[in-house]
Amino acid sequence: MLNRQAEFLGIEVIKARDVRVTLKRFWDYFGRHKLLLLLVAVFVVAGTWAQVIIPDLTGQVVDCYLQPVVSGFLTGGTQGIEGTQGTDSSSQSSPSSLSSANCWYTTPDADAGRDQVIQGLAGLILLIGGLYVGAAVFSGFQFYLMTWAGQTVLRDLRADIFRHIHQLGLSYFTTHEAGDVMSRLTNDTDTINQVIGFGLVSVVQGVLLIVWIVYTMFTKSVAYALISLVTLPLMFITTQWFSNQARKAFRRARQEMGSVNAGLQENIAAVRETQAFSREEENIELFRVSNAANRDANVRAQVFTSALAPTLEALSYVSLAVVAGVGGFLILTGQDLWGTTVSLGLIVTFIAYTQQFNRPVQQIALLWTNIQSAIAGGERIFDFLDVEPDLSDKPGAQVMPPIQGHVQFEDVRAEYNRGEPVLRGICLEARPGQTIAIVGPTGAGKTTMINLLARFYDVTGGRITIDGVDVRDVTQASLRQQIGIVLQDTFLFSDTILNNIRYGRLEATDEEVIEAAKLAHADSFISRLPEGYQTVLGERGSGLSQGQRQLLAIARVALANPRILILDEATSSVDTRTERQIQAALDELLHGRTSFVIAHRLSTIRHADQVLVLDQGQIIERGRHDELLAAGGFYHDLYMSQFRRQIEEEEEVVAAAEWVMGD
Amino acid sequence: MQLTTRNTRFQRPAARGQLGRAIRYLGNYPRLTLYAAVALLIATAAQLAVPQLVENIIETITSNTVRQTILTQVPEGMQGAAAERLGLDPTTLQLSLDNAPRALLIAGVIIVAFAIARGLFSFVQTYLSQNLSQYIAFDLRNDLFAKIQRLSFSYHDRNQTGQLMVRATDDVERLRLFIGQGLLLALQALVLLVGTLVILFLTNLKLTLIVLPILPLSLIIFVIFGAVTQPLFQEVQIRLSRVNTTLQENLAGIKVVKAFAREPHEKQRFGRGIDSLREQMLKVSRTMTFLFPLVFLIANVGQALILYYGGVEIVEGQLTLGEWQKFSLYLIYIFLPLGQLGFIISLMAQAAASAQRIFEILDAKNEVENKPGAVALDEIDGRVAFENVTFRYFGSGEAVLRNVSFTAEPGQTIALLGATGSGKTTIINLMPRFYDVSEGRVLIDGQDVRDVTLDSLRRQIGIVLQETTLFSGTIRDNIAFGRPEASDEEIVAAAQAAAAHDFITSFPQGYDTLVGERGSTLSGGQKQRIAIARALLLNPRILIMDDSTSSVDLNTEYQIQKALDRLMQGRTSFVIAQRISTVINADQILVLDRGGIVARGTHEELLEDSPIYAEIYHSQLEK
Repeated sequence: MLNRQAEFLGIEVIKARDVRVTLKRFWDYFGRHKLLLLLVAVFVVAGTWAQVIIPDLTGQVVDCYLQPVVSGFLTGGTQGIEGTQGTDSSSQSSPSSLSSANCWYTTPDADAGRDQVIQGLAGLILLIGGLYVGAAVFSGFQFYLMTWAGQTVLRDLRADIFRHIHQLGLSYFTTHEAGDVMSRLTNDTDTINQVIGFGLVSVVQGVLLIVWIVYTMFTKSVAYALISLVTLPLMFITTQWFSNQARKAFRRARQEMGSVNAGLQENIAAVRETQAFSREEENIELFRVSNAANRDANVRAQVFTSALAPTLEALSYVSLAVVAGVGGFLILTGQDLWGTTVSLGLIVTFIAYTQQFNRPVQQIALLWTNIQSAIAGGERIFDFLDVEPDLSDKPGAQVMPPIQGHVQFEDVRAEYNRGEPVLRGICLEARPGQTIAIVGPTGAGKTTMINLLARFYDVTGGRITIDGVDVRDVTQASLRQQIGIVLQDTFLFSDTILNNIRYGRLEATDEEVIEAAKLAHADSFISRLPEGYQTVLGERGSGLSQGQRQLLAIARVALANPRILILDEATSSVDTRTERQIQAALDELLHGRTSFVIAHRLSTIRHADQVLVLDQGQIIERGRHDELLAAGGFYHDLYMSQFRRQIEEEEEVVAAAEWVMGD
Repeated sequence: MQLTTRNTRFQRPAARGQLGRAIRYLGNYPRLTLYAAVALLIATAAQLAVPQLVENIIETITSNTVRQTILTQVPEGMQGAAAERLGLDPTTLQLSLDNAPRALLIAGVIIVAFAIARGLFSFVQTYLSQNLSQYIAFDLRNDLFAKIQRLSFSYHDRNQTGQLMVRATDDVERLRLFIGQGLLLALQALVLLVGTLVILFLTNLKLTLIVLPILPLSLIIFVIFGAVTQPLFQEVQIRLSRVNTTLQENLAGIKVVKAFAREPHEKQRFGRGIDSLREQMLKVSRTMTFLFPLVFLIANVGQALILYYGGVEIVEGQLTLGEWQKFSLYLIYIFLPLGQLGFIISLMAQAAASAQRIFEILDAKNEVENKPGAVALDEIDGRVAFENVTFRYFGSGEAVLRNVSFTAEPGQTIALLGATGSGKTTIINLMPRFYDVSEGRVLIDGQDVRDVTLDSLRRQIGIVLQETTLFSGTIRDNIAFGRPEASDEEIVAAAQAAAAHDFITSFPQGYDTLVGERGSTLSGGQKQRIAIARALLLNPRILIMDDSTSSVDLNTEYQIQKALDRLMQGRTSFVIAQRISTVINADQILVLDRGGIVARGTHEELLEDSPIYAEIYHSQLEK
């Protein structure tokens, strides 16, 4: 069944997309924390500055302290001070000089003794150490601030997805798997989570570091920098190509993940059916197939992401070779490089730069998999957020004033698929307090009628008014708050019984909740539970029988105390003993409210002010029960086929009881 | 009644080393693991060779520059002495200098060749370890799925779909990330560290000894942070599960949420969930805020120290510049892995937390499973006997069934009657072993159901559960759910018997119509009929129907009832009865109250003997 599921999900086609659009969407979220980002930027710049300046100072250790000393041994015989002085003065022009002009921090005094040189060295290294500490502090701050921003963005994204779920309306969820939506909120946000803290900082800092290193290289020596960066364009092209391939592959992979999730979700939720039918092995096999498809899609994506880092690393070694080779060659041959004098110190510095350069590149490459995966995840999230709700509050929709209960359907037409009307030409009027019974065969459109009234769907023709107000002109919330609905399937939350009933009116006191439970005849079974109203229900109210769940649903509605009541076959699955009690509770509940009942109970129909007979999307007969019966039309036939048995049963019971009593 | 309190949902074994168990999954792919390891070794060796090559090239440059200096600046007579002082052969000064460009070129080419080798092998190593991580995630997910599918009802009563989902997806993913990235990094770091240390020892013992104290320091940090962050990550996963559960409920119960216009309330609830998740993430990151910079700092300070001591030695003439360069180049390879420590710890702590959560499921004791040596149940006649059966749900002291005994002869129809919560459903759940009895025995054809294999038992029992859950797929797939190999004729026959054929064929795509999740495209009555057809296709000897005709309109119900009456012929049938007609026709009626059978017999017998039955019966009259 999983393969079918994939087909089902196949609706979502893979769209080739511009990364920038996705990044821009991310920015919409990050942009909310501009001040904080600015602060991060300051720390990043400071941290990066430290990271750039340090190799420079390290280079100075060699150039300004060690090299002169080494050279000193050569020229001066014993201490070589004179000689060093001599070469120093001509260092700008003489290619043979080993010192270079970049000793901006400090140089040993010309007449410094060994201890003084060491002292100077210690000072320089202390400075380097101090910078390291500063950099560490900065990076700590920036890491935390960035994580804060990232987690806040993630939270906002999750909240938006959740909000969108509620905006989308029911029709979306009849065509889309809940598991797939789940996947977007869990897996896709998780891929973003993997990148958003540590990852994002590393990448931002890395990029800045690269830019800075490149800039510094250029200020040192334009020509030598050009030589060192000869592999840079190649790096760009490689990254571009690999990321495009990887993103495509990850899009596919994330889709497969969506269907794995849908499979998991469905099969975990329906595990009882699976075991009842001994379907475990087949399901495991089917899951294996979709799981394997997911694995293979990911493995394919890994080809590209795995190749990126090694390629970049290899390229960086190549530039190392170029820096050392070309530099060495120039020194030895005593040539200028387009006017730049190459010193040994410069070579050492550039080798350090090249290696410094390599580090952020490696870091980014390492995170690249996660980044590509996160972008693919982001795409899926934004795709979901971009789904237009098919039903939303009109701009400037008013709050529905307190409802009297005057409901009118005016020539209502409804279609789920264009051109296939489920309802047409529906006209009806319910006065405040009336009970309207809707009867008809399965598929006649009964459920659609009540779905329209609560505005779960919109009419495609005509209009529905409550107290003269078109339901589309008021906010959905204000409308539904005044309409109570007992649905066919009772859904309960895994929470306490008390809170489940309280769902009808959140501000209700415990006493009111218990009152409502009593009204719905639920109090007696609740009180029998060891923990009473504080009993925590299992998922979807597992632990309770369907009858008990229905009682809770009725209590929930009773608590809401709506002006308009909608009952959908609510009384059907409670055992006979309880059913009578519920019937009584419902009669009480129906009293004084405008009620629409999809009726299966003869008693409800008999008491209804109006019975609507629906067939194939149209009202074919209407009136009171006895009128309709007397008319001898469709209702009469329906009645004879449907309710005769109920009557017979009742008669049987009567006969049996008489037999008992007569005994 | 399978009720739970929140705090008993998961027991947490204080299991360390669950991560090790996950890593042992590598053993499922010995060849791939071996290749990855070999590639890792070669790639790391290549990495270690690069500084040596760089040093060669610098040495070449330096020595030749020095030669040049000697030749150009040192007076003729002193050249030999100067060269000797620097360890150069005075006689070959000029010759070496002439060969220098060639030497440089060769050194450069060698670096490039090594770069290619390194790139190639590090690709292979990364790719293979990512593959391995995907394969292990695949295995883990399969194992989890299989385990979840087989875990008994009581386990599922205690655990929510959303929570199990997080473990099979998010936790697996975290573990995968560690195996694909963290483990690789850790191994790489280890190899690099050991290799570098060996080289450094050989290069300069004294300087190496200065570096050494950093290693135990890092190890301590590693252990401490690992221990501190793991519980933090565990809490992250717990909070994530809560967020997921809310989401899951909102998806499943969206109609209720909308019907009560509770979107703002749910948004608030969800908002609290994601806020607390964010809080926990920030708590984690506060720890990490110390960890990452600290690790980097230690690595960097180490480097600065070496720079100082090395510098001093050079000034004092005990170390050549080239040697020092070589030493400090290798130094990077000590500090590079140390710098990655933070990242590794983070991944590892997350993975360890997740591994524990995953193995919690895989290790969960299945309360209902095949006994060792369980035999397949032969084709049964359908005699069902309960002998003094008592049942209580997991962790609850109160018995839901008390001392229940009865016998159903083959072909009999047994009606179960009683108030909501009297134990009817429990009786039904014990026959296919959805739960095991706490005391007493359930026998089918004289065999204890616990002595036979689950599969052979359940295949002979057809069940229509209280709630109809259909699977996404076609209607045909759904009817054939219990017997995927059934022919089309059999499927149609079952659908006809369940009064489902007509509405199915009225769909444009007939039996190939796709059923949305939980049958969202079908009405309640239609779903139910498909569920009945699904049970009938098994042609079971024992038929169980719980509330089977509840949400069908009366006309349809009548049709189904007729079909069922036909079908119950010759099968042992248990019916939780809502309709008095079913009860009247039953061979045996069991009247249940609070977990015990309070009356039994046929309709006439009970009417005479049982006041409670009479009461239930009479309550129908007053309608």
